Amino acid sequence: MATYQEFIQQNEDRDGVRFSWNFWPSSRLEATRLVVPVSCLFTPLKERPDLPPVQYEPVLCSRANCKAVLNPLCQVDFRAKIWACNFCFQRNPFPPSYAGISEVNQPAELMPQFSTIEYIVQHGPPTPLIFLYVVDTCLEEEDLQALKESLQMSLSLLPPNALVGLITFGRMVQVHELSCEGIAKSYVFRGTKDLSSKQIQEMLGLTNSAPLGQQGRPLVPQDAAAFCRFLQPVHRVDMNLTDLLGELQRDPWPVPQGKRPLRSTGVALSVAVGLLEGSFPNTGARVMLFIGGPPTQGPGMVVGDELKTPIRSWHDIQKDNARHLKKATKYYEALANRSAVNGHSIDIYACALDQSGLLEMKCLSTLTGGHIVMGDSFNTSLFKQTFQRVFSKDYNGDFRMAFGGVLEVKEMGVGGTNQWKVCSLTPSTTLGIYFEVVNQHNAPIPQGGRGAVQFVTQYQHSNTQRRIRVTTIARNWADAQTQIQHIESSFDQEAAAVLMARLGVFRAESEEGPDVLRWLDRQLIRLCQKFGQFNKDDPASFRLSESLSLYPQFMFHLRRSPFLQVFNNSPDESSYYRHHFVRQDLTQSLIMIQPILYSYSFHGPPEPVLLDSSSILPDRILLMDTFFQLVIYHGETISQWRKAGYQKMAEYENFKQLLQAPLDDAQELLHARFPMPRYIDTEHGGSQARFLLSKVNPSQTHNSLYTWGQETGSPILTDDVSLQVFMDHLKKLAVSSST
Amino acid sequence: MARGPQRNLLNKRAVPPASGAGAPPPMPLPSNPLAPPPCGVTPPTPHPGPPPPGYMTTPPPPLGPIRSQVEANSSQSESEPAVEGVVLVLSRALAACRQTVKDQVCNDVAKRLHLLEDSWKSGKLSLPVQRRMDTLVQELQAGHWDSADEIHRSLMVDHVTEVSQWMVGVKRLIAETRKLSPELLEPLQKPAEPALDPVESVQDPVSQS
Repeated sequence: MATYQEFIQQNEDRDGVRFSWNFWPSSRLEATRLVVPVSCLFTPLKERPDLPPVQYEPVLCSRANCKAVLNPLCQVDFRAKIWACNFCFQRNPFPPSYAGISEVNQPAELMPQFSTIEYIVQHGPPTPLIFLYVVDTCLEEEDLQALKESLQMSLSLLPPNALVGLITFGRMVQVHELSCEGIAKSYVFRGTKDLSSKQIQEMLGLTNSAPLGQQGRPLVPQDAAAFCRFLQPVHRVDMNLTDLLGELQRDPWPVPQGKRPLRSTGVALSVAVGLLEGSFPNTGARVMLFIGGPPTQGPGMVVGDELKTPIRSWHDIQKDNARHLKKATKYYEALANRSAVNGHSIDIYACALDQSGLLEMKCLSTLTGGHIVMGDSFNTSLFKQTFQRVFSKDYNGDFRMAFGGVLEVKEMGVGGTNQWKVCSLTPSTTLGIYFEVVNQHNAPIPQGGRGAVQFVTQYQHSNTQRRIRVTTIARNWADAQTQIQHIESSFDQEAAAVLMARLGVFRAESEEGPDVLRWLDRQLIRLCQKFGQFNKDDPASFRLSESLSLYPQFMFHLRRSPFLQVFNNSPDESSYYRHHFVRQDLTQSLIMIQPILYSYSFHGPPEPVLLDSSSILPDRILLMDTFFQLVIYHGETISQWRKAGYQKMAEYENFKQLLQAPLDDAQELLHARFPMPRYIDTEHGGSQARFLLSKVNPSQTHNSLYTWGQETGSPILTDDVSLQVFMDHLKKLAVSSST
Repeated sequence: MARGPQRNLLNKRAVPPASGAGAPPPMPLPSNPLAPPPCGVTPPTPHPGPPPPGYMTTPPPPLGPIRSQVEANSSQSESEPAVEGVVLVLSRALAACRQTVKDQVCNDVAKRLHLLEDSWKSGKLSLPVQRRMDTLVQELQAGHWDSADEIHRSLMVDHVTEVSQWMVGVKRLIAETRKLSPELLEPLQKPAEPALDPVESVQDPVSQS
């Protein structure tokens, strides 16, 4: 029997699923006593190069309120050609096309190795992908030039049949007509007045030529394209659009001294969403918003145009001093919901030195599965390369983006369906799904001893095919009274840490910060009380089994992370970090919670080291990956050698190689990750060393130095509690009879 | 944890020692209780010892991967490719397209080919761009459409500032040329003889600013 680690890993590799508990408690009461809910991280479109899609429709259970998909857990009578649904026990006949199946000739969807399987279900002609660029022209000249070039470049990366459109805005909002001949025309909207979807469509002339075919039925999208002058196929308008982009000017309205440019982001987005709603509802589309600062006029404004009024900080928000926050957030939420209903996703590419209003606008991407990219300027490799990666292709040469996703979760014995619109997905998009065990306490374990869950994801592939991916998994029920050890050893502490962290972030967005930390601490103490082995009131006796041993450490780092500690960051930065945290897969999420630290030295090959100040040594180079930053830190001696130039001398070739090694390893991460991390090269005493120093566990601080007398490692100037102190407190509280 | 086919470097964490729940190693007791407490940071010595000398037998490996496109094996020397050769092939392709493709489009492409030629002749194009354009037209001549397309894309991604003004014309040219029937492609496939072949002179469209 494989170890639990192997079991967990195999399941993740095959099904993209990681459960917090792999043995499920058989009653609701017992489930709540486990503290960490029965929940899973699920990556619906996990890349599976080894899984070719099948070219037929899935077989469904005939019961109206079930409709589960045929899967390896179903009982099959090959002679009578009947299968029993494992969710509702309905007996279903196989369709006629399955007449030839037998024990030795099984369809793929019945075989255990196809617990995850993908079906191609094209109905009717394929619909093209749509990309609508919404571009802020209130940028510095250099920035605008760089952005224009990136957009021109992207035209070469779009598939020739994709539809593309352009809206530019500043004080006014301009929708550009993309005809191939004659003078370029555009429709201008005032940036101060919001319009309804209908008004926008009327003004753009979209309702007059309502595209109806011969029998009065709506034309399919590729014919509608002929009617929509604003969204045209790339292969037809690429030259014109390249010129149009090249000729874009900065917003012509002069910006007086002491003022911000008037930026009508709200209306621009409203026009974009209305345009797509009117011409291409229910088709995969991507609105790509490029902004160089906050919205300063019209609906959705985040800050006024007076520079002396700064954009809201966390302090302002805490003191209820953010005038526009509620109204703006509500405005963008409404737009996001309309977009999501149509399966259209919205990306935000925000490059500015100050905040751009991501806090208010974040819902546009979160609710539609779009990207958020944050940078200092469009004229940086961070933006340019990240933007290129939006269009990266997989092993089949298809974009790593999917549209119009709808996820349905089926569980045993639960009637009805649970459906979520996910709109836009990538192969790494990972959802956190939390289950509630509904069995009554002391009710017998359900028939068969195993619980099952089925995830059905319908989506439009980037090659325009419609597909359905089905993942069906099962886990054993366990009676918590008699089998608590099984449940305990089935704990996946990595998954649990991320799932609890996501809950924490969700709470943090509506509750006060300290309340969330208290909640998190309480859950941790309860978990330790439940599963720790200890003698009452004897902290030194406290032990945790291997399956839980790393969990407290994850919680320690989570408490210090920018997801829960907001006052060191702007509201936009916090929003940005949180946005990425709640959609990445487990490995990346863990890196965000507890960054990885590798040490390079002459003493041996590079090795992972503790994220602790004791790992900072003079003769080491450290490479830290926080997901958002890649920090290369040169220890004191290393940095002195570097300054002295030893790497340039022939006899010290090995030193040159040592300096290069972390750079080479960092390149791999820099090139693969989306969004591209910020690359920081620093050294002992460098101002940017703070990125490293703020993350490591401060086991030696200026307070602790003389008490402990340890000679290794660099002390950290902080009053943060160290992991050691945290663990001491945790043990005390867990073993105490009064907690 | 090891993942599927992709190599996932730098994904391991240091395992904290097994004493209790992930606590850092216990503090070592000072060996000599009479030694003075360690002062915060030892001051740097003005002349720190050199790093331990390494072996010098083999020459060092080249630093890092060379991140450019794998160029088609060409018998060319290291010298710059000739602009005339590149422009000739593109002009021939354009001429072949004139029969079936709309005038407006062809003129638009021609305009951009002129831009390409001007940029090249005035030294605005870097050597990598020139070389890749040379390879691109070779692929075009050979009918390797996808390969030519890939090169155009790589140029747009890596050198957008230099090429953005005219590259979309080349892109369109590839797209249109590949749709032509084989007999129209024959002139394109003739080897280039710049001295003898007249370069197509294009009607200048109504002057655009």
